[in-house]
Amino acid sequence: MTNRLMVGAFYNPHLGAELAQAEGIDHLAMADPPAATDPWWPAIRERYTLLLHDYLGQLSEPLDERSIARARALAELYRSPWVAEHFQCLHTADGAYNLNYVFPPLYTEEFLDRFVRNATALKARLDQPLVMENIPGFFDVAASQLPEPLWLRRFFEATGAGFLLDLPHVWLEAHYHDRNPEAWLAEFPLDHVVELHVAGVEEDRDLRGPWIAPAEPSDAMLDFLAHAVRRCPRARAVTFDAFSPSLTPDALFRSVERIRKVV
Amino acid sequence: MRLRRHPVTRATGDRAVHDRVIRALADARYRASPAWQTYHLADPDRVERYARFLARHFYYERIVQFFKYSRALARITGRPPEAVLRGDAFDLLLPSVVLGSRETAQAVARLVVGHVGAARAPIPYLADLLRYEEAMMLVEAGPRIWRDDTRTEGTGSRERHAPEKVKGTVLLELAFDLPAVLPRLLQPWTEVPLAAVRPTQLLVARSPHGRVAVARSDAGIAAVMQLADGKRTLEQLAAAAGLAVGDLEATLEGLVELGAVRFPNGS
Repeated sequence: MTNRLMVGAFYNPHLGAELAQAEGIDHLAMADPPAATDPWWPAIRERYTLLLHDYLGQLSEPLDERSIARARALAELYRSPWVAEHFQCLHTADGAYNLNYVFPPLYTEEFLDRFVRNATALKARLDQPLVMENIPGFFDVAASQLPEPLWLRRFFEATGAGFLLDLPHVWLEAHYHDRNPEAWLAEFPLDHVVELHVAGVEEDRDLRGPWIAPAEPSDAMLDFLAHAVRRCPRARAVTFDAFSPSLTPDALFRSVERIRKVV
Repeated sequence: MRLRRHPVTRATGDRAVHDRVIRALADARYRASPAWQTYHLADPDRVERYARFLARHFYYERIVQFFKYSRALARITGRPPEAVLRGDAFDLLLPSVVLGSRETAQAVARLVVGHVGAARAPIPYLADLLRYEEAMMLVEAGPRIWRDDTRTEGTGSRERHAPEKVKGTVLLELAFDLPAVLPRLLQPWTEVPLAAVRPTQLLVARSPHGRVAVARSDAGIAAVMQLADGKRTLEQLAAAAGLAVGDLEATLEGLVELGAVRFPNGS
């Protein structure tokens, strides 16, 4: 690593008072626009580098003017160095069914073409670089044609977008496919990574296994982070990916401190 | 795999295949039907587990959002609304859940109202509050517009089209002045904030993009809401509601903004 990595977290408005005075946090990712009633927002905006990480729209379809205008306005408000979206397709084309949760597209040529076309169009309308985050699949869909890492590589090469590498997502996919996480990670296009996400996982009753949770990363996950960072030469930031009213200030600050120690 | 049976979407190609996967995760009855299962697109056990996970997540988010005042009162009632998601009654709903549907929203909201409403807590307006929160959750449910690729409702020549009440809009009649107490419930308090006994009408509506809004109502608004059937012209509606056309137009402006009334395209 030659460049200094920024280490940060998500802005959790219920922790606004603590974050407004915190030391040791370089940036905050914004999952929601600030509430008009948030008394800490002016101080937060003044104090931190803010990263736009909202739901802008799913890039299986072109974003409409309303969504683009919203993305531009938020990026300007935050003075965000880059704009993030997800590789997700979570509602049907006709809008009748909606999962309200990140869900990956089919890894096919047709979806690759859709995402390349629509991400390129979005990039052209933004004043900041676009980064895209990988989304885990709990199950494989037989209609997919390409391995996810190859599909992602082709996307990044075609669009010039940056890669927001979510490490717990990679770890979970490895877990549910009986793969070694480091070996699975090595298949991803790490040379395109701009930002990394790290967080904890917890056991879920419905899934009967681990899943993403607003929890502190385990020591093993932090080792995985250190392993990944060494392989991401263009990475500029690591973000503790926890956004929940249940998150305590201790958990947030301790996680950021532990992340900083390993990167 | 490119099976083409039982179309469930207007999409084509891989998008249509993906739409089937989304519907299978969102719609429990479809997931259990031969119409989905014969595609053999994914491991049925994994799909079922993930669908149940999504259902709990989907309704957790909505309960936390729409029953936030009941959550704030949980230290008095001892009954956090989201606790229903870990109960047997919610598990019994799972085989019929359709994420985002009005029917499932109604069923889940009833569980919450029953759970919180059974509290023996000295909160005189608790029943009103639960009706209000239930209405918010029901109004939010239903299909929504994700992309603006058609002409926005409410635009165009209003003289040529008759306004109509948007499906799902709710007019609530409450015994307490809830709007005055709700913000105080979310502030720090030691004694439960009280609401004045005052008959209060509220209109709860949703924009086509899914934003739920609440406004105080009155007899004039209630009459317009009752009479706006998509058939009466502005003049007929004004006469029936006992309003001047100018006043009606101003009222309609606000109702369209709220999402309670729309002007259908075409005549």
